Amino acid sequence: MSLIVQTLSDGLVLGGIYALSAVGFSLIFGVLHVINLSHGILVLVGAYLALIVSTALGVDPMLTIPVVMAVLFAFGYVYQRFLIQRAVDRSPLGSMLLTFGVALMLQNVMIWVFSPDMKSITPSYAFASFHLGLVTFDAVRVSALAASLVLLTLLAVLLKYSALGRVIRATAQQTLAAQLCGVNVRHVYALTFGVSAAFAGAAGIVIGIILPFSPNDEALWTMNAFVVVVLGGVGSPAGALLGGLLLGVVNTLTAQYIGPSFPNVTMFLLLVLLLLVRPNGLLGNAFSASR
Amino acid sequence: MRRRDVLLTAGLGAAALAAPALRPARAQATKTLVIGGSVPLTGAAAETGLNVNNGYITAATYLNDVLGGVEIAGEKYKIELKLFDDASDPARATTLIQRQIDAGTDFFLGSFGSNIVLPTAAITERAKKVMVQTGGGSDAIFTRGFKYSFGMFPRATRQFAAASALFKTLKPTPATYSVIYNNDAFSKTAGEGVKLSCDAAGFKRLDQYELPGKVTDVSSVLASIRANTPDLLVCVVHDQDSLLIARQMVATGTNVKLLFQGLGPQLASYREALGKYSEAVLCSTYWDDSVPYKDPFFGSAKKFHDYYKTKFTRPIAYHVSGAAACIETYVIAMQNAKSLNPEAVREALVAADFDTQYAHIKFTPEGDGEPLSLGGMIGQVQKGKLETVFPEKAKSAEAVYPAPAWDKKA
Repeated sequence: MSLIVQTLSDGLVLGGIYALSAVGFSLIFGVLHVINLSHGILVLVGAYLALIVSTALGVDPMLTIPVVMAVLFAFGYVYQRFLIQRAVDRSPLGSMLLTFGVALMLQNVMIWVFSPDMKSITPSYAFASFHLGLVTFDAVRVSALAASLVLLTLLAVLLKYSALGRVIRATAQQTLAAQLCGVNVRHVYALTFGVSAAFAGAAGIVIGIILPFSPNDEALWTMNAFVVVVLGGVGSPAGALLGGLLLGVVNTLTAQYIGPSFPNVTMFLLLVLLLLVRPNGLLGNAFSASR
Repeated sequence: MRRRDVLLTAGLGAAALAAPALRPARAQATKTLVIGGSVPLTGAAAETGLNVNNGYITAATYLNDVLGGVEIAGEKYKIELKLFDDASDPARATTLIQRQIDAGTDFFLGSFGSNIVLPTAAITERAKKVMVQTGGGSDAIFTRGFKYSFGMFPRATRQFAAASALFKTLKPTPATYSVIYNNDAFSKTAGEGVKLSCDAAGFKRLDQYELPGKVTDVSSVLASIRANTPDLLVCVVHDQDSLLIARQMVATGTNVKLLFQGLGPQLASYREALGKYSEAVLCSTYWDDSVPYKDPFFGSAKKFHDYYKTKFTRPIAYHVSGAAACIETYVIAMQNAKSLNPEAVREALVAADFDTQYAHIKFTPEGDGEPLSLGGMIGQVQKGKLETVFPEKAKSAEAVYPAPAWDKKA
C-alpha cells in the first residue's frame, strides 16, 4: 500500500514540474498557433541564467526567478516580433522551421559558451527530505512543485483578470474582432511570446534544481511540453496542469509496475489514444469557444 | 640593362642557386601522415567527445611541434588530423567517414559512443582501412569478425571484471547486488557485463533496473531498492543519470553499503554537485597521471598531463589520455611495421605489446583491449578526490567499505 502511495505522490510531484515546463508552449500554441520548437532551449536558457545569477550573487536559485523571467520576457518579445512574426507572415510552416533552426543555433551557442558538460544547481536544501506517514518526499522536488503551482496560478490569474490577459484572450478567440477594436495584434503576439518565454525560463530554474542539465537536453523539454499540451489541452494553465500531472503519474506508475524503461512507451501510447478519441486534449482548446 | 632588370636577374639567379638546397628540406617538411575520423563536438556525446578530440590534438601537436614529427621507415612525417564534427549522429558520422575513404585516407581514429563507432567501423572494415578508437566498448564492435578495428578498452561485458574482483576483497564480503542501466547499446551491454562478472563471483542478484535513454526521475526505482536493499548498487548509466540517481538517493535516504557508478564520479562537476555526499562512491577509471607506464614520446603520464595543461584549460579525463594513446599506438605500429601500408600497420597492431602513457597496449584477436592490460582501475571518492583503490599495484588508498550512510557523511 505504501509503495503505491509513494509512487502516486512521486508522480504528482513530477507532474507539477512537467506542467510548468509546458505552459509556455501551450500558450504560444493556443494564441499564436505556432509550434515553438525552440521551447526546450528557452527552458535551458532559464536554467543556465539561474545558475549564473545564483552563483554570482550567492542567493537561493528560486530567488532568481524574477530576474530570469524578466530577461526571458524581453528575449521572447524581440524573438517573436522580429523573427517569428516575419516567418509567420510568409508561410504557416515557416515558424516551425525557424524555431527549429533557432533551437539548433542556440544549442550550439550554449555548447560554445557553457561547454557540453553537465551542470547542476545545488540549493542548500538539495539533499533534504521529509516524511508524511510512510511516504518520503524529496524536499527539492516538493519546493519545485510548490514553485510550479504558484507560477501556474499567477499565470491563470494574469490571463483571467488582468488587462493584458483579457487582450491576449480576445486576440486568441477573435483576432479580427480584436483588431477592429483597436488591439495591436502583433504587439499582443509578442507580449504573449514574452510571457511564455518567461514561464519557460522559470521552468528551467525549477528543472535545474532537480536535474543535472546540459545543452543537448533541449529536445526532451520540447517533446515533454508537446505531450503535456496534447494530453491536457491547448492554451490554459489548467490544461497544462492536468496534462502534466497525468504525464507524471503515468510515468511513475509505469516505471514502478511495468518497468523503468517503459514510461516513454505508455506516454506515447496515451498520446496516440488521446489524439484518436479527443484530439483537442482533455480540457479542449481554451480559446476555441468563440472561433 | 636597366637597374630594375639587373636586380630581377640577380634575384632569380640567387633563387635558382638556392633551390637545390631548399628542395630536400621542403620535401622533408611536407611529408604528412593523414589520419581521419569524426568526433562528436555537439549533440548528446559532446561532453566526452570534446575530451577525445582534445586527446587527439594533444598527441598530434606534441609529436609535430615538440618532437618535430615522427620517423617512420627512415622518413620524417608530420601528422595531419582530418577530424570532423559528427554531431553525435551515427548517420552523419558514416557519411563523413565514407567521404574520407573516397578521398584516400587510410587510417582512422574513432568517434565517441558505441552507436557511432560500430557503423563507422563497419565502413572502414569494408574498405580495409584501419581504425583505432577509444570511444566504443560495446561487444557488438568486437564480435562481428572485424579485423581492422582496435579499441582501447576491453569489450563492455569484460569491463566489470576488475570491479567484481575488488568486491571479493572487501571485508565483510558483500553478498548481494542490484544493477541499474540505461536502455542503450553500451549501457545494456555493460549491465550484462556486471551481471556476468558478479554472478560468476558468487554475488546474489536482487534486482535489475533498465532506465530509458533520457531519465527525469528515479524515485520508483529507489522505492524498490529501499524495499529490497542490496549490499552493492551498481549503476552503469550516463554521467547525468549517475548524478540524478545519487542526488535522489541522498534526498530519499536510500542507503546501500556501496554505490558503484561507472560514469560520473570521475568528473569534477559530479563531485562538486554532490559535495560531501560523493564520498566513498566507486567508479571505473582507466587512467590518472600516476599510472606507472613509460611512454616513448611523452616519457610518462605525468609529463603527458603537464603538456596537456599547456594546451587546454579543460580538466583532463581518461578519455583524453586514451585518445592520445590511439595516435601513439598508430605511430609505434607504423614504426614497427616500417611502412604506411594499411595491411602492414594492421598486422603491427595485432602484435602490439608496448607501453604508452595511457596503459600497456595489447589487443585481443577480436581487436578490443586485452582485459588485464587495458582493463582499467577502480577509483573511489575519498576526501573529495578520486583515489585508485584497485588493482593492488596501482592503488593510492584502501577502499572504504561499508560506505557511511548519507546522513553520516561528514
